[in-house]
Amino acid sequence: MKRTTPIAIGATAAVALTLTACGGGADGGAETTADGPVTLTLAGWSLDSTPEFQTLADAYHEANPDVTVDVVEYPAGNDYATAMTADLAAGTAPDVYVLKNLKDFVTYSNGAQLLDVSDVVGELDPATGGLDQYEAEDGKSYAVPYRQDSWVLYYDKDLFAQAGVAEPDGSWTWDDYDQAAQDISAALSGDGVKGTYLHNWQSTVQGFALAQGEDADLLSGDYSYLAPYYERALALQDAGAQVDFGTITTNTLTYQGEFGLQKAAMLPMGTWYTATLIAQQASGEANEFEWGIAPIPQADASTTGTDATPVTFGDPTGLGINPKVDEAKVAAAKDFLAFAAGEEGAQALAEIGITPALTNDAVTETFFALDGVPGDDLSKFAFSTHDTRPENPVATQTAIVQNILNDLHSAVMSGSTAVDAAVEEAGQRVQSEAGLG
Amino acid sequence: MTALETPPTDAPATPVQVLRTEDRRVGPVVGKAVGYVVMTVAALGLLLPFVWMIISSLKTNNQVFTVPVQWIPDPVVWQNYLDIWTRSDMTTWLGNTLLLSVGVTFLQVFTGSFAAYGFARMRFPGRDLLFLVYIGTIAVPWQSYMIPQFVMLSDFGLANTLWSILLLQAFGAFGVFLMKQYFESIPESLNEAARIDGLSEWGIWRRIMLPLSVPAIASLTLLTFVNTWNDYLGPLIYLRSPELWTVQLGLKTFISQYNAEYALIMTGSVLSVLPIAVIFLLGQRYFVEGIATTGVKG
Amino acid sequence: MATNAVEERELVAAAGAPTPRRRPGSRLKWRNTLIGWSFILPNFVGFTILTLVPVLILFYMSFTNWNVFGVAQWTGVDNYARLVQDGSYHKALLNTLYYAVVHIPLTLAAALGLALLLNRKMRGVAFFRTVAFFPYITSIVAIAVVWNMLFSPEFGPINQFLTALGVDDPPGWTTSATWAMPAVIIVGTWREMGYYMLLLLAGLQTVPAELHEAARMDGASAWQRFLNVTLPCLRPTMFFVTVMLTIGSFKVFDLILVMTNGGPGQSTLVLSQYIWQKGFVENQFGYASAVSVSLFLICIAVTLFQFFWNKKKEA
Repeated sequence: MKRTTPIAIGATAAVALTLTACGGGADGGAETTADGPVTLTLAGWSLDSTPEFQTLADAYHEANPDVTVDVVEYPAGNDYATAMTADLAAGTAPDVYVLKNLKDFVTYSNGAQLLDVSDVVGELDPATGGLDQYEAEDGKSYAVPYRQDSWVLYYDKDLFAQAGVAEPDGSWTWDDYDQAAQDISAALSGDGVKGTYLHNWQSTVQGFALAQGEDADLLSGDYSYLAPYYERALALQDAGAQVDFGTITTNTLTYQGEFGLQKAAMLPMGTWYTATLIAQQASGEANEFEWGIAPIPQADASTTGTDATPVTFGDPTGLGINPKVDEAKVAAAKDFLAFAAGEEGAQALAEIGITPALTNDAVTETFFALDGVPGDDLSKFAFSTHDTRPENPVATQTAIVQNILNDLHSAVMSGSTAVDAAVEEAGQRVQSEAGLG
Repeated sequence: MTALETPPTDAPATPVQVLRTEDRRVGPVVGKAVGYVVMTVAALGLLLPFVWMIISSLKTNNQVFTVPVQWIPDPVVWQNYLDIWTRSDMTTWLGNTLLLSVGVTFLQVFTGSFAAYGFARMRFPGRDLLFLVYIGTIAVPWQSYMIPQFVMLSDFGLANTLWSILLLQAFGAFGVFLMKQYFESIPESLNEAARIDGLSEWGIWRRIMLPLSVPAIASLTLLTFVNTWNDYLGPLIYLRSPELWTVQLGLKTFISQYNAEYALIMTGSVLSVLPIAVIFLLGQRYFVEGIATTGVKG
Repeated sequence: MATNAVEERELVAAAGAPTPRRRPGSRLKWRNTLIGWSFILPNFVGFTILTLVPVLILFYMSFTNWNVFGVAQWTGVDNYARLVQDGSYHKALLNTLYYAVVHIPLTLAAALGLALLLNRKMRGVAFFRTVAFFPYITSIVAIAVVWNMLFSPEFGPINQFLTALGVDDPPGWTTSATWAMPAVIIVGTWREMGYYMLLLLAGLQTVPAELHEAARMDGASAWQRFLNVTLPCLRPTMFFVTVMLTIGSFKVFDLILVMTNGGPGQSTLVLSQYIWQKGFVENQFGYASAVSVSLFLICIAVTLFQFFWNKKKEA
């Protein structure tokens, strides 16, 4: 009896496998004629909680009933790139796929995994954010941006009022930010509230330094531009105005929890957080409180004020076409890209709380008509006006350099290495490992 | 090491031993009590992350990670245990995971122990070299050859099917190695006797070696099952369609790009650990001392 | 039959055995080979196609500048020359050695202790065995979270305990470049001892109770019985466990990834993670393959040493 059981189970397993295997093939046949119905596949992730892909697919299908866009679910986070790399290498990737950040773009365009879409880019509104980031060295464009999050300052109006500290007014430099963080901490430390929360990503320090720093160049091999930003972050940490890096990593703190549960009055974060915060306040996961969005503090007064354009950073999110796409589908795929990156796509995305790459007045209006979005003028200004510099300038060595700078980040923020020594070491490593500088 | 000093009083392997333990009862009782206390404390330490998983599964997302740690959820969110069934395909994921784990385990134990007999008992040229090749592949990190492997299996048309994971995991060198080592600890005289009795090599494998290797088969089964059950990278690369997802892959969908539902992830993790805990609890009884010797006598 | 004879000679020659003098002996050898292969073949076919071929491709790729997409260019030993000069690789190699050298004996001792402790008939042994195995089945994310929390320099129970004991300056554990590796080793040992305990438990079942009993009658102490009865019977299993543990330690990956992600700085960067970084993050799969081959060579060297040492002991 003991012998037969596993065999029986094995046989059942084999039968069930055959059945499920049949349902597995995602690639439909190429049911495409020049003007007949076309089915495009589009890669997305976490479809349940990330509606943007289905939204774009539906909106496009509504405008073009002949074309159906099937969204294929990929893993989220860094795993997206892993799975996509595997699929592209094996030739099983979807027709259209998302380029999460500019590092991925470099990888795929260098690997000839993107179709030339210069003609699509030529027809887009030149004001579309991040458009020029997708231009490769040969002068051709290999993707279009459909979404561009940029970094802003979220602040808790209730906590500011409680601490008696003046809210951001758009004129802030980092000195003002530091002062406010310390003042709030001093006033509210009894309640366990800190002035600000700086998440443990390298972006939270290095992104601003690269965008705003004088002569800052990721590929120069000279990282002294990072030093003032690190010294500022360490000073706030030492003063107790923000949770220290060690506590964030060892306790796996989340920025949603820290800001949403009112443990910090300010949070420099990307605009994607708006949709999350609204959803969490509605579901009760975050506290009920008044909040606003302000432009990120500036290096000096020259770019502050609502008549100037604040400098911040953010990578566009793009769409590209798999060069293995069926010849007959290329036109439809390009049209879909033009739609997603254009006015109609932008409107559809703004309706679900996403920051489209194209943010004109109409899009801003749609976005701020959403329930739960703060309605004040500064928030609107912060959302719509910014000079957004790329976090990962397009170059072959960007990924290598960012890895090295990530090591610098954890070494400096944990207090393991002094700022100057870490900057020096990073420069040497970039020189020997990336051949720069 | 305290274990070594106190004789194994509770192992009545022979009547003699039972008598002897009757004689010196007092010392061991104290030792045993201390032993239990120590082990219970150790058990709590080993279970702590699991306890934390349970506690976190009863919280809201933003409460999961806080300073200081909140050991008692407030409010207690039982809802997570309902939500996970309605908001996700937990049933499908569990089904796929079970299917794969059972299939892989069966193939691994079957082909592994079969091959192991060849390595352990048959003498033929090139045997040791071939065996080293087997072990050698264990020493190559999977992530470095998973892309060529994936491209190959895709060419066979197996990507995005459960077959890919089944085949991938079933023929590993691990089972061969484990079973071979175990077979080698079974006295060779048994084989000789069986050969003289006219049993073929396949008969020896089935009638002598397998029954005597129950503990090894049990541990191979448990380990293969657990590894397949908890595998993440394999399903990540190979399984794209949601109806093929495993638990580990499915739980990751609660993490989207900018947000993560940690409470639900922990709920799912608790649910996914329970079946293996039960299987382990049931399977560990096959570790019974002296099976090999019973075989000799019988 | 003629072809058989040819094949047979080739096989024998390949093994470096002297040319057989007598037909019957050689026929027996041939028969043994055939039967041996009939056992190995079902697994071997799957193993060769699914594992061996991709591994051989990997070896080839280590001599190219493969970027995963498209054709790989042969670059000879360039990748290996680069390894010799790559500071980060050296760092990863040293860290991996550090991890392995401390983790292997610790885990082996803990697993053996657990196995001996739980290889008895006593009330609750099933429960304790399951509990000992629990760290291995608990989600690694939960493990990383809880241990990181325990290690938290300011709020962590471990440092609070150390402070209570009078330690003035308790270590920063995962936030300190010096202490991150010990912290990871502790967690690695804690997590894997149950896994190896299980394998050793299976091995312990081969130790005949009669031998123990006889040794006890002769007045052997528990320690002597362990050395002279248990260990020799356990040798095949111990060989398996030490080889698997060695390879596993050199390949340590996911634990480091979730505990420290190689940090702070590069203080816990290990080879497997470096392979991942070079391959999947920086898209230098050719170079990543060369790092893999170097890791393979280290493992196989240690394994061969263990293999021959084990053979010598057996003889």
